Amino acid sequence: MLNQVPVVREQIKKCVRCGQCRSVCPIFAEFKTENMSPRGQVFLVQMLRDGEIQPSDKVAAKLSDCLLCETCSSSCPSGIQVHEMIQAARTYVASQRPSFTRKLIFDTVWSSPVLLRRTVGLIRLSQRLGLQTIARTFGLTKLLPGDLSKAEGILSSIPRRGARQQLPALTIPARGTRKYRVAYFLGCATDLLHPEVALATVEVLTCNGCEVVIPSSLKCCGMPQVANGEGTVAQELARHNNCVLANASVDAVVSDCASCTSALKSPRYQEVECGGQAEIYKKVYDLNVFLVDCLKLDSVPGSIPKTVVTYHDPCHLVKAQKVKTQPRKLLRMIPGVELKEIPERCCGGSGTFALTHYDLSMKILNHKVEAIAKTNADLVATACPSCIIQLEYGLRQNGLGMKVLHPVQLLSQAYQSLDK
Amino acid sequence: MNRQALSQELIKLLGAEKVIADELDLMYYSYDSSFLAKQHRFIPDIVVTPRSTEDVVKVMKYAYEHGIPVTPRGAGTGETCGAVAINGGIVLDMSTWDVIDEVDVPNMQVFVRPGVVHANLNEHLAQYGLFFPPDPGSTRMCTIGGMVANNASGLRAVKYGCTEQYVLGLEVVLPNGEVIITGGMKSRAVKSVSGMNLTKLFVGSEGVLGVITRIRLRVWPKPKARGIVMAVFPVLEDAPKAVLEVYQAGILPSGIEILDDSAIKAINMYRPDINLPAAEAILLFEVDGNPASVDWEGQTIKEIVNRRASQVEWATDPKRMADLWEGRSVVASAAARVRPDGSRVFAGEDISVPLSRVTEVLRGIRGLGEQFGIKVVNYGHIGDGNVHTAPVIDPEIPAEVEQANKLVDAIHRLAIELGGSTTGEHGVGAVRAQYAVAEHGDAVKVMQAIKNAIDPKGIMNPGKLFRLEGEN
Repeated sequence: MLNQVPVVREQIKKCVRCGQCRSVCPIFAEFKTENMSPRGQVFLVQMLRDGEIQPSDKVAAKLSDCLLCETCSSSCPSGIQVHEMIQAARTYVASQRPSFTRKLIFDTVWSSPVLLRRTVGLIRLSQRLGLQTIARTFGLTKLLPGDLSKAEGILSSIPRRGARQQLPALTIPARGTRKYRVAYFLGCATDLLHPEVALATVEVLTCNGCEVVIPSSLKCCGMPQVANGEGTVAQELARHNNCVLANASVDAVVSDCASCTSALKSPRYQEVECGGQAEIYKKVYDLNVFLVDCLKLDSVPGSIPKTVVTYHDPCHLVKAQKVKTQPRKLLRMIPGVELKEIPERCCGGSGTFALTHYDLSMKILNHKVEAIAKTNADLVATACPSCIIQLEYGLRQNGLGMKVLHPVQLLSQAYQSLDK
Repeated sequence: MNRQALSQELIKLLGAEKVIADELDLMYYSYDSSFLAKQHRFIPDIVVTPRSTEDVVKVMKYAYEHGIPVTPRGAGTGETCGAVAINGGIVLDMSTWDVIDEVDVPNMQVFVRPGVVHANLNEHLAQYGLFFPPDPGSTRMCTIGGMVANNASGLRAVKYGCTEQYVLGLEVVLPNGEVIITGGMKSRAVKSVSGMNLTKLFVGSEGVLGVITRIRLRVWPKPKARGIVMAVFPVLEDAPKAVLEVYQAGILPSGIEILDDSAIKAINMYRPDINLPAAEAILLFEVDGNPASVDWEGQTIKEIVNRRASQVEWATDPKRMADLWEGRSVVASAAARVRPDGSRVFAGEDISVPLSRVTEVLRGIRGLGEQFGIKVVNYGHIGDGNVHTAPVIDPEIPAEVEQANKLVDAIHRLAIELGGSTTGEHGVGAVRAQYAVAEHGDAVKVMQAIKNAIDPKGIMNPGKLFRLEGEN
């Protein structure tokens, strides 16, 4: 039952309904009504827990009106983890109202790297042939609760080969003296949609004395599942991945995806252990943090052509992990980069949110694009694949020709300039 | 009239996008921050989100004709059930109407609509070197409309006063749908004694007389400098004496805050890094103004309080000031830490007593807490005798709720007995309406007469501020 989830059991009564969460929520900012506020979501969870309302479709829809960006949780004076409550409630409601399509997508396909790769291949094929037509023909638009046909343009062209297919081996030796043995948690989005980020990550890590291990049996971090109510599957994925990482005998687990690292550090991963090897989450690092705080990078060999860069803070980094300085420090140390700041604000991407809540997602995105446009930057850097996709789309839609790259890609470019 | 019919009529008048009628959506408007709203649900029949005076006029005319209760609501940060529809009817959610119409810089005033958030207004005014001085703790959330309706104040009321001192005029939609402008139809004067002061009547009337739709506020030049004195007192009784001595030296700080031993313990449990010294009381004196005067005032306060305090610090460095201020700013959240399984409840949380009786009330509350078996954390604006009490209970245990209700009643009665008030700044709402006669005596009859004259059908925010004859 919902009340057995620790966050609900222990925290819900702490909410004093002060409304601080209203003042920071990107969704509330668009509506300004209480039924679209995080405070309202906590109230909804409470009513659900107490049986005052039943887990209906309407309740599921209400709970889905949240980006899980953690802005509210990170600024709650009472320390309430609102996003975890919402995740728990989504899981509870979904368990009461099983859905074949949701299970197919999140339990079966997304939890299996092979099936996911094949599905993405299929989408790539359909993209080439015109996704809208294919999706409509095969009824794919009905698979997600949102309007897939509206959202079809969000994904730019999917690469022909994923990162796993391009990387030379599962264990890549360090260049020079080995300092660390690092497990690279290669997330689904980086692997299949942004393989160039993965290649840059491996290059930068190995160049800095890391032996990089990419366990072949790693699966999705579970973030998409938990966001879509399949929390039980997410828990199984956490157990599986924790076992794989525990057996890898590594000094650190690193990911270039803000959502993956956020998931790997979440209570879901903290609560499972494998063969007595607990606390894997303590070894998990965002790539930017690992490079700056562990490898102590303070300069970058090589350079890139003079580029004005603006940095977008992914919510799963800045809110969920409080990582703000390290990506900026990395960018500033790349010769050629001039950093211009923009206000911290969610881009509205949030994984599958842009697919299920297209119009709302675009409203949130527009604020971000306006801010980016004002900088006249040449390029946007961000450390989350979901944000990269969303920002690329927003810039494209607004006729802005800026590229969106992960900071590690700029680092990698600087390294490569030495070879030229 | 049933909800569906009411919804259809209001949609006809305003358009569907301004009407919330879904049963689940209406639940979200059943609460505010009060303990009472934690114990009960007050679900409105309909919620409307007006964006113009005309919208409000349409709603009021319709409600008046049909005798439907109307409750205006800001951000729902109130702690008294003041903006919840305890008798059902229509809730007007003004949060969506957050427009700053005009900043009249030469005349130092600003015109806003009720949904503007306090912090956003001050951020906007900063570009003109101006600010709206009342500073409630809920600055990031609360609306100006809510502040005016409740005559809100906060940390700096000791020097700058309450909202009422800054309201030059209002546009109000009366219960029958008529629109009036107080403070002069075309006036931009800062000073006027023309006519009866209707502005003062509406400020703090908690929505029982009409709907505030436009606000003309006086604003002030933003101070150039600030500084903070922190003083630690081993004996509680010395703290109010030190405050009096500062006043007697001719200094009026912009804020004087007190943390008693319960608050100090709570803060240190919540944030050990703040590491406040153990004591019966800590005072924070904030001074602001021009740099030279701030420095003189700070040094003088330091000398004065040093006679009684065991430790005194004067700071003007922004980081150090932020560190010193942090203890005060986290106390509301920290209160609950005195009991890991507990929650701070907003009830009996805002009494106000004469400065000379602050010690008495703090010791009295401690005794009442022991009597009812409830932990209470105390802090507040000692400069104006406004004490915030934070009972910490497990709100899911009925016996504790019952004890808390008894404790809260005793705290309110203690405040009245000591020559104080049941509320210094949070308002009366539904939760303190029962004390109106004890506080005001026959003046309540005059309040009722005014209410009856303006709202003969009694549709405006019924059940709040005071109870009309025949009301429970």
